[in-house]
Amino acid sequence: MPNDALRDSLAEKRWLTALSKGDPSALGGLYEMYGERIFRYTFRMLGNRTDAEDATAETFLRVLRRSTELRADGAFRTWLFRIARNLCIDKMRQHKLMELPSDAHYSGSEERATLRVTVQQALSDLPIEYREPLVLCDLEDMAAREAAEILKISVPALKSRLYRGRRALRDKLGGTLERTS
Amino acid sequence: MNNELYSKLVDLYAGHELPAELEDQMELAAVADGGLNHEITTLRRVVDTLQSLEEPDFTEESYHRILMKLYARGADIQPQAPVSTHFQYNLPLQG
Repeated sequence: MPNDALRDSLAEKRWLTALSKGDPSALGGLYEMYGERIFRYTFRMLGNRTDAEDATAETFLRVLRRSTELRADGAFRTWLFRIARNLCIDKMRQHKLMELPSDAHYSGSEERATLRVTVQQALSDLPIEYREPLVLCDLEDMAAREAAEILKISVPALKSRLYRGRRALRDKLGGTLERTS
Repeated sequence: MNNELYSKLVDLYAGHELPAELEDQMELAAVADGGLNHEITTLRRVVDTLQSLEEPDFTEESYHRILMKLYARGADIQPQAPVSTHFQYNLPLQG
């Protein structure tokens, strides 16, 4: 295991142990470790900052509420993403349709920012079963096995959705991809 | 290898999951096969575009707004990062 991964694993174990023993301040350590990743994931799923912040906060609140059940067995990250995923699905059901982020900060050139908006919109238009594997595997760079565990599906099923999702996104993006090549 | 087999490997090619040698063979076969060429080119472009996108900015404001939401819901959470002064003091309202 690389040094960074080992250090993170030990830190996660320490925070989880502390939290399961009733030390609520340990939540701060877990937020430091995973807050940004969960925010990025929820932002990409929901498409706007406000909902992503809400979903991220609620994810960590749920961790706190179930702190006595926590086990430092290496599956925490998968569980955390599952909570975030369920919250995103709930929010999408509430909103019915996705909206473009009006308060998003796009860094980089205008061309890159435009591309990002276009891709985000195209992703938002995809059915959820295609969007989820694309966000986890192609955007979050997560291994297929972990992504499959988060989505509670088999690895072949994940890959099938991922491949169909890429084709669907290609069809939606159309000429945009030609211009970026 | 025939192009029928290559067409089954298109998705692996798109995701950079094939060995370089096999990629080269597919690219060579695609020169003479317009359909295969379109598939491997466009699908890889989708993957490369997604992987090259900038990550959403996890701004300091977002970091603290999430912390405040947690406080407001009763979580005893200690921020590890120092809090900026504009988050420590309420500015007087004008007008």
